[in-house]
Amino acid sequence: MSGGSAFVKDLHYAGTAIWQVLLASVVLGAGLPVIFALGVRSFAWGSGGQSAEGAPRPGNPAGKALAILLFAVVLYVLALGIYYIVVGGHGKELEFHGLWPEQVAKK
Amino acid sequence: MWRWRRSAVTLVVVSAETLVLVLVVVTALGFDFTNGFHDTGNAMATSIATGALKPKVAVALSAVMNLIGAFLSVAVALTVTNAVVKTFSAAVKDPATGQVTAPAHLTMGGDALLMIVLGGLIGGIVWNLLTWLLGLPSSSSHALFGGLIGAAITANGWDGVNWVGDGTKLDGVVGKVLLPAVASPIVAALVAGLGTWVIFKIIAGISHRTSEEGFRWGQIGTASLVSLAHGTNDAQKTMGVITLALIATGHWSADASTIPFWVKLACAVAIAAGTYLGGWRIIRTLGKGLVEIESPQGMAAEASSAAVILASSHLGFALSTTHVATGSILGTGLGRPGAEVRWGVAGRMVVGWLLTLPAAGFVGGVMWSIGHVLGNTGGAIVEFLILIGLAGYMFQRSRHNAVGAHNVNDDWSGMPAASGVPSELATGGVA
Repeated sequence: MSGGSAFVKDLHYAGTAIWQVLLASVVLGAGLPVIFALGVRSFAWGSGGQSAEGAPRPGNPAGKALAILLFAVVLYVLALGIYYIVVGGHGKELEFHGLWPEQVAKK
Repeated sequence: MWRWRRSAVTLVVVSAETLVLVLVVVTALGFDFTNGFHDTGNAMATSIATGALKPKVAVALSAVMNLIGAFLSVAVALTVTNAVVKTFSAAVKDPATGQVTAPAHLTMGGDALLMIVLGGLIGGIVWNLLTWLLGLPSSSSHALFGGLIGAAITANGWDGVNWVGDGTKLDGVVGKVLLPAVASPIVAALVAGLGTWVIFKIIAGISHRTSEEGFRWGQIGTASLVSLAHGTNDAQKTMGVITLALIATGHWSADASTIPFWVKLACAVAIAAGTYLGGWRIIRTLGKGLVEIESPQGMAAEASSAAVILASSHLGFALSTTHVATGSILGTGLGRPGAEVRWGVAGRMVVGWLLTLPAAGFVGGVMWSIGHVLGNTGGAIVEFLILIGLAGYMFQRSRHNAVGAHNVNDDWSGMPAASGVPSELATGGVA
């Protein structure tokens, strides 16, 4: 019966796909909120105010600039995500050459 | 006189088939609607639980994203049912010349296909409504697949089901349903857990207010992304089913690479309306039942869900947004030191997931048998009436302990969704 070997192949394909999904998801799914957290941290540093213990702290413009940069990275990745969904709905997908995506036919 | 009688008979035959088709389309849209409200929580439960968005605003935002997402599905996979049932053979092209060597065609008669699809849809809806009543997040795709599998086994025997595919790609019940269901929640939990753990290291020491306010926006952005992806993926499934029914009855060409605009419009509106209704019972379980979450965890969960869903669709790994979202939320509890994870709630969900295929399949099989005994037209009408009856009954039961925008965030200990659920529904009737 060929069903047995197709089953083994399914396991094999799934194993390969799972590793790739895990890798991509760690980079995007864990990386993105971590960059965002760095942005929140920088913003807190930049705006001064109070620490968690309530002690007053001075603000630092460099912190705000860094925060804006980090939030921009997050926004860029979110925009890429939306673009990917739009392109996927049209039966295409994105290929990356450096930072800029390009539409290609789905394999 | 003779001529007149013959055309009258033809008219009756045509309208009988059309009636079945109309019932299939209406039932498919009903399934799409339950798909919407069953899955609102996948994207929005965390934002509602942390107060990043007011409950009504959250479901409205999710509904709009689903509506937009549904309209983005231009390339609808007509072969969606093929993942589990052998229904449709797509056109085969010679890779070298691009010439069509075998045109797209159905693998069974149109009537037979309609009855399998109708039984499958009803199985999916009944299981979706029952799990909603119990406040259990479970996969709408699995419910649909389960119903189709049950109807197909009853109709065409064990061989009518595409169990493992043909070995050339991940396919069949094993490749597209079972393996992803096991793997995707684990992957999502790992990613969300890792994200949560690192985030809390980074923001340690900054004021609670600053982090809640900052992550509020991250949560809204990532949750919207999940809603958009959901609209594109899930509405597409119903569009595929309806278009398949139109092809089966000769109302649409099997070779067409497009779908009728009214199908797209109807499916988009149905899933968005369902999303806006909000499956509050499920939102409550996901947002308050599994773990107590704060905004940073909410963002980690939704970012993980979005990444896993998009990466998987990129790699052709079919998965359920529900399994991913549940895994992600669980992961944020595991990744935050000291957070409580309610394993009892998680265990109930897993039991629900294990029951989804057989239970929806059972209903699908019974429905197909009714159609088989009563004949297509009478059977389809009776099946539809049974569906209305069951849906009405479950809606009535839900009124006894209504969960809505007003109490969705109440403390879990006084869980309105669990205490009032009739025990016979929790244990019997489905197994």
